[in-house]
Amino acid sequence: MDFASLAVQLNAGTIVPEAIVLITLMTVVVSDLIIGRQASAQWTPYIAIAGLLASVVALFYQWDVANPISFIGEFNGDALSVVFRGIIALSAATTILMSIRYVIQSGTSLAEFITILLTATLGGMFLSGSDELVAVYVSLETLSISSYLLTGYTKRDPRSNEAALKYLLIGASSSAIFLYGASLLYGLSGGETRLSTISASIASAGLAQSIGLVIALVFAIAGIAFKIAAVPFHQWTPDVYEGSPTPVVAFLSVGSKAAGFALAIRLLVTAFPLVSEQWQLVMTTLAILSMVLGNVVALAQTSMKRLLAYSSIGQAGFVMIGLILGTDAGYSSMVFYLMVYLFMNLGAFTCIILFTLRTGTDQISEYAGLYQKDPLLTLALSVCLLSLGGIPPLAGFFGKLYLFWAGWQAGAYPLVILGLVTSVISIYYYIRVVKMMVVKEPQEMSDSVKNYPPTDWTLPGMRPLQVGLVSALIATSLAGIFSNPLFTLANDSVLKTPMLQQALGRSKAPIAKQMAPTISQQLSLQITEVSTKKAVSLPKSMVHS
Amino acid sequence: MVSTSFPWLTTLILLPLVASLFIPVLPDKQGKTVRWYALGIGLLDFALSVYAVSSQYNFQNSDFQLAESYVWVPQVGINWSVAIDGISMPLVILAGLVTTLSMLAAWQVKEKPRLFYFLMLVMYSAQIGVFCAQDMIQFFLMWEVELVPVYILISIWGGQKRLYAATKFILYTAIGSIFILVAALAMAFYGDVMTFNMHELGLKQYSLPFELLVYAGLLIAYGVKLPIFPLHTWLPDAHGEASAPVSMILAGVLLKMGGYALIRMNIEMLPHAHAYFAPVLAILGIVNIIYGALASFAQRNLKRRMAYSSISHMGFVLLGIASFTELGMNGAVLQMLSHGLIAPALFFLAGIVYDRTHTLDMDDMGGLAKKMPTTFALFTICSMASLALPGMSGFVGELAVFLGFTTSDAYTATFKGVVVLLAAVGLIITPIYLLSMLRDMFYGKEGKAVVQAVVLDVKPREFFIAACLLLPIIGIGLYPKLATETYDVKTVAIASHARNAVPVVANQTFKDQPQFSIAEQPPFGIAPKMPIANPELLGMVR
Repeated sequence: MDFASLAVQLNAGTIVPEAIVLITLMTVVVSDLIIGRQASAQWTPYIAIAGLLASVVALFYQWDVANPISFIGEFNGDALSVVFRGIIALSAATTILMSIRYVIQSGTSLAEFITILLTATLGGMFLSGSDELVAVYVSLETLSISSYLLTGYTKRDPRSNEAALKYLLIGASSSAIFLYGASLLYGLSGGETRLSTISASIASAGLAQSIGLVIALVFAIAGIAFKIAAVPFHQWTPDVYEGSPTPVVAFLSVGSKAAGFALAIRLLVTAFPLVSEQWQLVMTTLAILSMVLGNVVALAQTSMKRLLAYSSIGQAGFVMIGLILGTDAGYSSMVFYLMVYLFMNLGAFTCIILFTLRTGTDQISEYAGLYQKDPLLTLALSVCLLSLGGIPPLAGFFGKLYLFWAGWQAGAYPLVILGLVTSVISIYYYIRVVKMMVVKEPQEMSDSVKNYPPTDWTLPGMRPLQVGLVSALIATSLAGIFSNPLFTLANDSVLKTPMLQQALGRSKAPIAKQMAPTISQQLSLQITEVSTKKAVSLPKSMVHS
Repeated sequence: MVSTSFPWLTTLILLPLVASLFIPVLPDKQGKTVRWYALGIGLLDFALSVYAVSSQYNFQNSDFQLAESYVWVPQVGINWSVAIDGISMPLVILAGLVTTLSMLAAWQVKEKPRLFYFLMLVMYSAQIGVFCAQDMIQFFLMWEVELVPVYILISIWGGQKRLYAATKFILYTAIGSIFILVAALAMAFYGDVMTFNMHELGLKQYSLPFELLVYAGLLIAYGVKLPIFPLHTWLPDAHGEASAPVSMILAGVLLKMGGYALIRMNIEMLPHAHAYFAPVLAILGIVNIIYGALASFAQRNLKRRMAYSSISHMGFVLLGIASFTELGMNGAVLQMLSHGLIAPALFFLAGIVYDRTHTLDMDDMGGLAKKMPTTFALFTICSMASLALPGMSGFVGELAVFLGFTTSDAYTATFKGVVVLLAAVGLIITPIYLLSMLRDMFYGKEGKAVVQAVVLDVKPREFFIAACLLLPIIGIGLYPKLATETYDVKTVAIASHARNAVPVVANQTFKDQPQFSIAEQPPFGIAPKMPIANPELLGMVR
């Protein structure tokens, strides 16, 4: 069988964007080998960025693809996946922009860094479209393992090593749990691996209310929650964020998180519609915990990266509101928020990298009086942080507004009110940093700022940082006011995704139909449930007595 | 609605904002270009607003005018729609006047002039935006845009405890504004049609419990801003610590945003709940008047004394809003305008005194009259205006509120009597604290700070600013129609709108629980309109 017909049969056209990233990756590796480190560092990053942007362009042409399902159901390149893949590719491109100078200054090899980052991107992009358990797991692991490598990339820095080890240990166990959940799904569905057929098989096998399905759900959520850093699966976040190289943190907080959300939507909506009430309940709990804990603990942080770690936990909580709602607007508001989050969070990280490169510290108190020395950096960081806090008219305000709007529309009043309260709390710690930079008088300047070197944009790798900084600043300030195209994009991505439309249409009537015949089973299950509960509680009471 | 060819209001809102974006790139030495630039923009915007109102606005029309509406984010139903009517038009002019004057008052800002004028221009936009917005989300957005500039303005150019004051301000206001957004969402999604347009929201028929809930939420949000008694504690700190130009805007315009929003939303959009809440507002107004006046008397810090005096004066606005009469409503708006002129003038003069003596502690002052005769004269005029001397705008506003409340037929005579009596007590305390302030500052022996200081009297620029504020104060005082005529039709319309809701409520309660509404008349609740207007029915039931 010749290659072309095979490609047609597999509908390989849907993964052209990933193929572009893959080719870029190979180019970077090979050219690094052939030309040598010093010479290749001059232009490999730009090749990588060009490749990622080309991939975004290719994604643009995937928008209206007639048949998104490819590789015999392994991969689903629907509109939702296109948006998520775009977010991940863009976040990788921005990460490369900000990492060039950082990696050069840390004395490590740039090409390898980019290679690993592109691998992670590839994993994330595949994960966004994976429609089958094996593909999900393989791409999840591609993303995770490259992320572990990235966190430990500055290998002479003990904190980076610590972060990598922590991330690896927790990540490995969480993916093991996820794998176990997936295997349960496989078993319950009688050997199905395609997400879309799993729920049907489970329903037809009469296991719609089985405990096994609930356990599979809990395990799958544990894996996802680890990726999106939702409380209580967040413990790795602050340490890893603090120890890892900052560009990596930027990627983890945006690209990796977006991939996690893409997985969450696809897996929960297509594989677990039978237990949608349960997963909505679990995710609601996680969202509440994330919003409260993330935003409250952030108040006490003294390190900028830890602050952003907790803030990103809180932000994940906000995004989860959209996931729980199960409405068109809910999903679109998620997508919209993630797009906006891409700009503002990466902008904030670019600023932190610039500051760290100049001063070698990321303590919040060291930012004191920065306005006098570097107004541009102060402006950019202030705008990005205030946008994260949801201050109008910046992009983050519109993101939150849409989430809360969707929440109110769906009747999730307590969640919306909690979201509002916690975002007021978040304003407090974001504005604390702004205050530190802007308000402090010359005599209150920190030592780092006193010795702040004048900005030399001509150094190698500084120009890309400047480009990243300015574009993030512009995007964050204007994406809100001129948000119409982004809103349209987010809404269309949901409306054009058959999987979501099917789920949304289905979530009202047919589930009830499926429920009806299983009531007797449900009853019997409840009995078994009770008996198992007793069995569990018995030893406890024995201990007490 | 009259459609105009030129988007006047959008221009008024966006001009300072767009102009502010050029401040970072202005070529500038020692902030001199920047201040001329900012002042020029301020004057231009003010002139444009006066021109737009005088040429395009019909004072005899109670509808919204100069209306514009553009689709902004249709996916969520947000429009950019602006319009002005009798309530917002005077406040737009006031905001332009006070902000421009405060930029002139800040002429000698040495520290970070670019940032200062940038923030001032952003505030300028936001203020006008709040008064013009006709879309709830747009209103909320403008309301919030104000937040960060004020925070930074207080925390950089403020007094000793400025950081504390600024943080308190932002937390109070941000928490308060949660209620605005929740109310906006709740009202928007109520019923079949999703809309954020204020006019359409006002036409929706809400159920009474819902309306009461939303009203309470909005009352908290705007009560923080106005401020209303238990929510006021940020104000003395913020106004006391901010520098004089910022205090001018805070007291002159920002407080009015609360009063304006109360009228615009709580009364116009939720008239039925207002019928229930009005007695509460009246009581809160009394508490504000008396508490503010007493607390003001206890202050030894000049600006804190003025800040509490603002709280006291805002109580009259509440009383006027609660009165259900045309006169009372008219008085409430006039009181806002008059306080919007008097308070900035007082804060500005306090700034002059601070500039010369470097203290705000009245114990260290004294005998200033000899060294600063013109300041003394100006200060006295302003204080007289503030204590409502006849012939000044304060008198007209408070008198109208009193008359309005007394003639209101929505309350029982006892309730009205008690309220008016207590408000009159506040009226007596006001001269006490203002005159004692004058005595401590200007009469007697020269205080510590005065002896040491090289004291110069007002400069021409400062005299000009004070005169700009004093002229309208006296003008309105002598010929109140000057101001009232511009908005009278609108306040009449609002008062009748609010009044109309009262019998409806009475009817409802009457129908649902006849026992309650007659027998157990709440002591100072709305005396149901029904029994009074319809004595036959009353007799029949009895």
